[in-house]
Amino acid sequence: MSFSTLLLLIIAFSLCSFFFSSSSAFKKIKSATSRPSALPKHYGQYSLAWTLFPAFLLLIVFTIIGPIYVDNFFKQQIALTEASYDKAKIELILAMIKNISNGSISSDEPKILKLADEYSNYLSKIYLFRTLSVLLLSSILGIIISSNINILKNSRVKVETFYRFLFFVSAVIAIFTTLGIIASLLYESLRFFALYPFFDFLFGLHWAPNIAIRSDQVAAQGSFGMLPVLLGTILVALIAMIVALPIGLFSAIYLAEFASKRVRDIIKPTLEVLAGIPTVVYGYFAALTAAPFIRKIGMTLGLDVSSESALAAGAVMGIMIIPFISSLSDDIINSVPQSLRDGSLGLGATKAETTIKVVLPAAFPGLVGAFLLAVSRAIGETMIVVMAAGLSANLTINPLETVTTVTVQIVSLLTGDTEFDDIKTLSAFGLGLALFAFTLILNVIALVVSRRLSEQYD
Amino acid sequence: MVDKKNNLKFKTKNVSVFYGSKQAINKISLDIEEKQITALIGPSGCGKSTFLRCLNRMNDVISNCSVNGKILLDGNNIYSDEIDPVLLRAKVGMVFQKPNPFPKSIFENIAYGPRIHGIGNNRAELTDLVHHSLEQAGLIDEVKDRLDDIATGLSGGQQQRICIARAIAVNPDVILMDEPCSALDPIATAKIEELMSSLSKSYTIIIVTHSMQQAGRVSQKTAFFHMGDLIEYGETPKIFTQPDQQKTQDYITGRFG
Repeated sequence: MSFSTLLLLIIAFSLCSFFFSSSSAFKKIKSATSRPSALPKHYGQYSLAWTLFPAFLLLIVFTIIGPIYVDNFFKQQIALTEASYDKAKIELILAMIKNISNGSISSDEPKILKLADEYSNYLSKIYLFRTLSVLLLSSILGIIISSNINILKNSRVKVETFYRFLFFVSAVIAIFTTLGIIASLLYESLRFFALYPFFDFLFGLHWAPNIAIRSDQVAAQGSFGMLPVLLGTILVALIAMIVALPIGLFSAIYLAEFASKRVRDIIKPTLEVLAGIPTVVYGYFAALTAAPFIRKIGMTLGLDVSSESALAAGAVMGIMIIPFISSLSDDIINSVPQSLRDGSLGLGATKAETTIKVVLPAAFPGLVGAFLLAVSRAIGETMIVVMAAGLSANLTINPLETVTTVTVQIVSLLTGDTEFDDIKTLSAFGLGLALFAFTLILNVIALVVSRRLSEQYD
Repeated sequence: MVDKKNNLKFKTKNVSVFYGSKQAINKISLDIEEKQITALIGPSGCGKSTFLRCLNRMNDVISNCSVNGKILLDGNNIYSDEIDPVLLRAKVGMVFQKPNPFPKSIFENIAYGPRIHGIGNNRAELTDLVHHSLEQAGLIDEVKDRLDDIATGLSGGQQQRICIARAIAVNPDVILMDEPCSALDPIATAKIEELMSSLSKSYTIIIVTHSMQQAGRVSQKTAFFHMGDLIEYGETPKIFTQPDQQKTQDYITGRFG
């Protein structure tokens, strides 16, 4: 039986046990003389939880562990049949067996056909065992719990415990996913650093991955110094923040402190439309409209502007971040207590004086946090820079020149035909790790700064 | 009652206030004497705070609020177009129900108003002014060694006196107090009441209070508001011992409110 059929079945079982338990609890409560310790629905939820979740966990475990177990078993089998095979060859044969057993390819080698046959037999046995054990667990638990409803026992407490557990598990899943992503990033990066010295990568001034199209193609080994790429990233993000911070913050101040309700109702949704534009649209706006425009202005001023300038990409990225900053700042400014504004106005301060001298300082910790979040976003932004910033890694801080960013390099290293054990491909993971570390540091600074400042102001 | 030695500070005539279409106070006419403490009492929602906030145009901050009638401060209508509410509020300071010191140092809290109005041009003058204001607010001994500490770290009563010192620092004529002791304990309240009496030698004070005992203790004149109307206004001892109106009698004896 397939995963989804099984899941639907145990859900059906648990719904049955819910209705059975709650109606039986209802009857018992009706005829009881003493006051029951919980409502019928609590008994229902209690038996629902027991019917559904242990069986569900068992199902998950079988689905994940089962194929891994079978694969390992067959790897041993293959190794036994031919001792000369190395690891990669075994993997290859296993993949072949799998593909034959589910009918995607065919083979005329009898040995492999036999193994494939055994493989599918083995797997279907595992699945049959999965079906039986899951259904058995679910039904047995359901019947035991729902036929032994004791209204003197307080199932409300148990249901509460169950809810707490559910929420805890959800939180833990998010954390483990993050850890998993970090682990895979670290693993691939370590492979890269085994091939290329760590400090040459970190402090190298020359970035030239020179991606070969085929493995037998003659190409330079390449040089992987990330500083020009990192500098490009910082330059573009800096330009973006120079555009986004004043406009975003000032529009938030206007909306929160000065705008009448009618104006606010028009401007706020309009700003939020900006946030809804897909980044790829910003990307071609940067490449097709902003970049030529900046180039034209540069030419009339007698400046040499490259057609893919850091300025164009950064400025458009800044426009993209404006709603992010303005909506965060608006919330933060609004959360400053009205009593502080009253106090300042009551002393004869104007609205602007009140805003600058009282409201903004009180909102400052939150604003720093919002600002650094926006910086992280600018650094991680990919689509705009892919389309508008260019590919050549120049070590420059001139915003009119072409620069490249970490995200652009990762995209260009990992798209198209790539070999996954090649140094050029692996360098993308090194860049990814560097980017992750950089934004992590920024986020930690944001957290520390805003916590320290808010201690001071509370 | 031939007590005519006091000048009138405020003269109000037929003041009505509306929040949208809802009327909060109805045709209040009330004259307030200079360098006296006038108490406004009445049950919650009677309009006493609304009336108080008219006197320095703090109601302007509320978007759908409109004020009719005439309010004269030293003979000038404060709702006329020539009056800048910002300058008016420097002359008519306000202390609020909840202590609301700025999240800045004690010094900066007191120096805030003078800085805005350009009083005290150099550091020495400003320091003098801050010390003088804290002295008037009876707080100098408690805080003189920690003027750079954050004001929000003080106790509630101290915070409220910081707010009073902050109001004094801009040298107003009038101080409006909107239930200044309702968030404080009895000891802090006693200190603020003592402070009010000493301040009334140099300032006109108008206080809104829920506590009839407080009105009786500190004020020379008392106005009783009910449902947006001014029921009775007169010398405090008279209001509390032999009021003219039955409603006042009922309120001060605790029959309602």
